[in-house]
Amino acid sequence: MSYRVLFFDELKGFYKSKIMIILWIGMPALSILIHYLIPSTEGFPVSSLVAVLVSNISGMLSSAMISTSIANEKNNHVYDLILMRPVKRYNILLSKFCAVYLCLIIATVISLALGLIIDILTIGVPSQYFLEETFKSLTISLSAMAISCSIGTFFGVSISSIAAAAILSVYVGNQVSAIATLPVLFIESLNSVLIALLVAIPLTFTFLIISLVMFSKKQF
Amino acid sequence: MSHMNLSEPLIEFRNVVKSYKNVLALNNVSFSLNQGDIFGYIGPNGAGKSTTIKIMVGLIRDFSGTLLINGKNIKSSYLELFKILGYHPQEAGFHRWKTVYQALRTFGKLSKLEKRLLDSRIVEVLEFVNLKEVMNRKIIHLSGGMLQKLRLAQALLGEPEILVLDEPLTGLDPASRYQIKNLIKKLANSGKTILFSSHILSDVQDIATKIGILNLGNLVKVGRPSELQSEYHVRNRIQIEFDNDIDILDQLQNLNYIEQSENKSANVILISLKVEADLDESIHNLLQFLIDNKYKLRRFNLLTPSLEDVYLKLVQGENNEL
Ligand SMILES: Nc1ncnc2c1ncn2[C@@H]1O[C@H](COP(=O)(O)OP(=O)(O)OP(=O)(O)O)[C@@H](O)[C@H]1O
Ligand SMILES: [Mg+2]
Repeated sequence: MSYRVLFFDELKGFYKSKIMIILWIGMPALSILIHYLIPSTEGFPVSSLVAVLVSNISGMLSSAMISTSIANEKNNHVYDLILMRPVKRYNILLSKFCAVYLCLIIATVISLALGLIIDILTIGVPSQYFLEETFKSLTISLSAMAISCSIGTFFGVSISSIAAAAILSVYVGNQVSAIATLPVLFIESLNSVLIALLVAIPLTFTFLIISLVMFSKKQF
Repeated sequence: MSHMNLSEPLIEFRNVVKSYKNVLALNNVSFSLNQGDIFGYIGPNGAGKSTTIKIMVGLIRDFSGTLLINGKNIKSSYLELFKILGYHPQEAGFHRWKTVYQALRTFGKLSKLEKRLLDSRIVEVLEFVNLKEVMNRKIIHLSGGMLQKLRLAQALLGEPEILVLDEPLTGLDPASRYQIKNLIKKLANSGKTILFSSHILSDVQDIATKIGILNLGNLVKVGRPSELQSEYHVRNRIQIEFDNDIDILDQLQNLNYIEQSENKSANVILISLKVEADLDESIHNLLQFLIDNKYKLRRFNLLTPSLEDVYLKLVQGENNEL
């Protein structure tokens, strides 16, 4: 029960802070802009470009968002009044993680759908192969973003300086999430979706569980 | 909480010790409170008041010693405790994008209060703390005192049996202080048990039924306000202002009920009475002496020892020994 209350609370908070708007409108707009500004991308499917861009920029943005939000609420003693109510500590972090991740999923889907529309308009109706590629991009983006968000959670819990939490989560998040996306670029034969999932799922869970344990041991 | 055993204390600290990495914040603190008590918890900055309070509300859980609430060890009954406890933290703690109403509603839901009754209860507590007119204002736009009242409002929301208030009067204007002090008294009269911390001794003296003085993690004194003042040997003092400059100290030194006398200025003297001297008799004799000797008095003030004297004596005495 308290999970639901906290989850909708987080969603409302992100909505109020306009971060959701940036993700949902800014990201797709940016990728379209790049498509039209850089001529060399003509003929290259927008959807894959969008996937790379969105996973990179919004992954960074949201890992910074999660970590600063947690560090900030910790420093401002926002949790004190939640923790002395019958609320499981892990629900506080999980609700934040899930709210941000849901926003990211929506942002990615919007961006990809938009990219797809542009592709249809410029290149024509996409082939089966192309749709598969788009789906692959989607999975890889979401994997990379899950890692970024869990790393953001980790630094939010473990660091009190807001600036340090933001910088570390962006930098480390970016580096680590690359593990999920990069291998397929170098080795043709690899199944990119499988690699992404194999890397992302254990990494995300590990970072989340470490964060939850640290948070539950924390003295407020 | 249908049944409370009145003979047993409701809250009991037994040799509670808490240290942070290299700071001993609480050193063997023991005291107990009964239902209906208003416990005024005072001590200088860093004494360990907030640490004690955070232990009571479950924010700090690794401490040694025992804390019993309603006869149960707190370490095995946090979830039960949360149902009967209201907490006013010393520091902020709200999502600042919410309105006052929205914040209270979230707290109500998290406390699992009945949704049907929540709205009317929110209005009720906002009326208690005189915050109803800003019910729909964003928290980021509240003044410091309003935030302070909101902290109190959320503590009252679930009608808790036990209220733990960390400096609830700090930052309030005089009218609000008066109002909140009355509210605390009213709550205690209706059977709630209240622990509140403060730096302001007169507030504690006004409303507390029991006082604990904490210094450097040691609970140096616990008792009723009147007990503390009389039991603790603080001397009665008398300040006398004369019409003209005088030289009287030598004569006063011969009176057997006077411990010490000094000139505050040329025409003002301050006399400390001996601890064992009877106050009324001493005043009578002193006045008689002054009249007999034809001194012209402008003012004669009895300075009764205040809680402040007890406090300073306890707190500074300890610090000086270090
Ligand atoms: N998280 C912490 N880590 C290390 N030391 C701490 C921590 N919290 C408090 N302390 C130390 O413990 C001691 C008691 O602090 P506490 O906050 O309980 O004092 P207080 O009586 O509430 O003071 P104030 O009147 O200033 O609010 C202080 O010396 C403080 O520096
Ligand atoms: Mg304090």
